[in-house]
Amino acid sequence: MELLPVLVLNGLVWGLIVALIALGLSIIFGLLDFVNVAHGDFFMVGAVLAWVLIAGTGNFWIAFAIVPVIGLILGSLIERGVLKPVENDASLSIVASFGLSLILQEGVRATYGATPKRILDPLGVTVPVFGFEYEVYRLFAAGVSVIAIAGFFLFLQRTKFGTWMRAVRQDREMAIAMGVPSDRIFMVTFGLGTAMAMLGGVVAAPLTSVEFRLGLDVLPLCFIAVIIGGLGNLPGTAAAAVLLSVLEGFITSIAEPTTARIISLVIMSVVLLVRPQGIFTRVTA
Amino acid sequence: MNGRARGVAVAPLVLLLAAAAAPLVLVNYQLVFLAEILIWGLFALSFGLVYGFGGMLSFAQALYFGAGCYGFNLATYKYGLGTWGAIGAGLVAAVAFAIPTGYIATRVRQHHFLIVTVILSVLTSAVLASGHWRWIAGPYVTRSLPFVPTVPIGPWEFSFGSETFAFYFTAALVAVAVWLAARLTSSPFGTALRAIRDNESRAALVGLNVNLLRWLMFTFAAGIAGLAGTLYVLLARYTNLEFFEWTYSGKAAVAAIVGGASSLAGPFAGMAFYLVTAEYLSRYFQQFAILFGILLLVVLRFAPEGLYVAAARLARDAYARFGQRRLARGEER
Repeated sequence: MELLPVLVLNGLVWGLIVALIALGLSIIFGLLDFVNVAHGDFFMVGAVLAWVLIAGTGNFWIAFAIVPVIGLILGSLIERGVLKPVENDASLSIVASFGLSLILQEGVRATYGATPKRILDPLGVTVPVFGFEYEVYRLFAAGVSVIAIAGFFLFLQRTKFGTWMRAVRQDREMAIAMGVPSDRIFMVTFGLGTAMAMLGGVVAAPLTSVEFRLGLDVLPLCFIAVIIGGLGNLPGTAAAAVLLSVLEGFITSIAEPTTARIISLVIMSVVLLVRPQGIFTRVTA
Repeated sequence: MNGRARGVAVAPLVLLLAAAAAPLVLVNYQLVFLAEILIWGLFALSFGLVYGFGGMLSFAQALYFGAGCYGFNLATYKYGLGTWGAIGAGLVAAVAFAIPTGYIATRVRQHHFLIVTVILSVLTSAVLASGHWRWIAGPYVTRSLPFVPTVPIGPWEFSFGSETFAFYFTAALVAVAVWLAARLTSSPFGTALRAIRDNESRAALVGLNVNLLRWLMFTFAAGIAGLAGTLYVLLARYTNLEFFEWTYSGKAAVAAIVGGASSLAGPFAGMAFYLVTAEYLSRYFQQFAILFGILLLVVLRFAPEGLYVAAARLARDAYARFGQRRLARGEER
């Protein structure tokens, strides 16, 4: 029970990282109108690339700087090459993203191997928190997620591109009629979503063991956050991710982690039945 | 129309004859492999029924395959039922599990439906893997049959020790399931479901109970997946927790879509292609699934209705052109 504050803090840190990843999923859904089943695997690829870069250069910060850029480029290329041809059919897009997920997982297994690997804490410093020595890196990870999420919302609100993205989300046809370059928007949106997942991967890599199945654990978490927050509701998604993880932290202090996970899943099922639009979305129309 | 009607009657007969003759041509391990293709093909058909005929992109079919295995094991170990009873129990388990889960899933649409099916699978796997609730999960999920199952038919008793019998038994039950699926999809119920798939609001306007029909189809398809599960236990004498995972449903989805999800033969063709190439490729290249991912993307790009359906259409067009040419020549004379 004396572990409670630490578990809740861990939940908060993890929740912020999940919020970052889930936002990527949500923005892709909001604009391209399909659920990206490969999103968790982009997270995994981010973590794996971090491991590879650290093994090559010995420096975490190089990985931290490069991987999101790789994500942006990779995501844009994939949108152009793979998703564009099927963009008019949501089911086909989802199936295509499942194909991507297969390719990413098996590709990583073929090159990186199937054994889980660990990354050393890049800071290696602890501070006393509630009487425990707490890793500073976890606080750093939470900070990075907060800054990235805030930066993303600023980008949406304050830049021309962000305004275009919001316009396409609201009314695609009208936006296109007003001259918004929708093709480019879709490409950049998918690139951004991918970059967010891969940034999440780098940040989370030192906190977990890195392996090719990592995405399979994260994807359901993002799904739960997206459902509870409201599919396509960006602030709702972020809030739901954080709330859920803190709740799981609470429950973990009195029960097993699996029980905590099962409780979140049950909460999601109930939300889905009672408020399918999410708890943070007001019903319009 | 005449040609098509004839094709419908001839194709199953040819397939049945081919199945009957298979033990004459194939050696034992090939027979077992063929039976395995039929079982996994039936599993892919379960996805095809839900997605290709009902328009529901489900990642939950593995749950019902797993439930079939579970029901079989429960009946065998706890209640000591024979093979027929265990098969029945597997079916009951799959359908009984599909009724509530399908009710939750089919109430929501498209993206939510997909997410719900994934989450239901994750939830079930989490419960079964957690190590709590041993009385549910414990002895019935991951298990190997310690004996060779026998099947009493009339006064005779057949053993799965014979590969020939194992193949015939599997093929017969798969044929019955496909026949049922064919009856169902060509019935007014199947037509109504296709109407819902193509335009839900219009279907609702003409008075179809959309949610109920979707739920019924989902439950029927779950029964098909459950049958595949029980047949798998009988053939492989082995079950595993991973059969419940949503990535297993993903395999059925890939096979069914590559083959053609909106036909009955497409999922079997896709799964046969998957398993045969996997069998040969995995000797040289462990991660052959990458190639299937790529193949899937190519199929989606160029033949989104699936390879089997595309090939069948090409063949029909070619046949029609051939017929027209013959007709034209006849008129010249």
